[in-house]
Amino acid sequence: MTGGTTEESLAARAGRLFAEYRSGDPDKMADLVQILTPILWHTARATRLDAAAAEDVLQTVWLSLVRKADTILEPVAVLQWLVISTKRESWRVARGQAKTRPEDMEVTGTADHEATETVEDEVLRSDTQRRLWAHIEQLPERCRALLRVIAFSDRPDYAELAKALGMPQGSIGPTRGRCLAKLRVALAQDPTWELR
Amino acid sequence: MNAADHPTPDRPTPGHPDGGAWAATGSGVEPEVAVSDREHQLALQELDSDDVALLAAVRALYDETDPVPVGLVDRIRFELTLDALHAEVATLTQLDLEAAGARGAATEAVRTITFTSESLTTMVTLTAQEDGAVRVDGWAAPGAGVRVEVRLATETRETTADEDGRFVFEDLPSGRTRFALYLPGTDPPTTVVSPTVEL
Repeated sequence: MTGGTTEESLAARAGRLFAEYRSGDPDKMADLVQILTPILWHTARATRLDAAAAEDVLQTVWLSLVRKADTILEPVAVLQWLVISTKRESWRVARGQAKTRPEDMEVTGTADHEATETVEDEVLRSDTQRRLWAHIEQLPERCRALLRVIAFSDRPDYAELAKALGMPQGSIGPTRGRCLAKLRVALAQDPTWELR
Repeated sequence: MNAADHPTPDRPTPGHPDGGAWAATGSGVEPEVAVSDREHQLALQELDSDDVALLAAVRALYDETDPVPVGLVDRIRFELTLDALHAEVATLTQLDLEAAGARGAATEAVRTITFTSESLTTMVTLTAQEDGAVRVDGWAAPGAGVRVEVRLATETRETTADEDGRFVFEDLPSGRTRFALYLPGTDPPTTVVSPTVEL
């Protein structure tokens, strides 16, 4: 799950599959779709798209990978390429969904956000999960999105993914970075918090 | 593991190289000066095992509240396969709904859908079975020996059309689906995919 020194990171694994695909093994694309769809799903959903739109974004992005496979110089860059493409396509679709008034996009986002909150009330069974969720909700939007995406990758990938998400250098990587630090501070200040 | 009881070792903090970059992010929260210093201190330290555990918990949280939809990976793979096969996407040309006569105690609704592409015209009749499942009677032209797939949420069912291009699926679950038809005679086969159909 989270990468150790002896395991391949998500980016490395994806790079290997992608290289094999480009070398003439089409079945490897199916494997690539399997291992990377989760992180891309959460990348799209972090931009507040509804589920149907997020699915469409992923379909579009994967098709574009197939079309542009030869334009990616280093196979190990494929994860970053996909995350950036997903983010861009998500924003493009979100803008298209917005009505003429810019504040409507906020309304859409809030509605989806509230829907997620009622779902989590039913879904999150443990106290720990509810508390963690509450603290995550307090984070700035960009931090929430960053932590959501990197949570689905491995530690060696964090720095590149933060860059892909447009976060400033030092957002996370070898160092903890401001977003994770914010969350740690919030949890440290919660006398009831305990990660079991 | 209680974060409050776990003192993070103090390290000499260098200057504030990222202060300018971070100014742009604008958290919208007004921290006390002490919190901000603590946050900055934590931010510059290396990740530790508590962070790894915390991110694992974040992952589990999103996995539970917003999981990848069932079948999405398969749907994506299917689209890529169709793309690789240069599949023809058939368009809906006719849709008929009629109530069939009573059979036993129940009146059944019957829908007939016709979709067309360059290589194939296909007509499928959907009949609601008594148990709520759906029966499909299909006819493809020219459809002799065409392999037909119906892609369901969790599985794919397959049959081969007879020499008249006729095929049947029984006991299909209701819901959205697509048919994929593979014409014999070439490798890779000429592929036709139907529009999304509601069983």
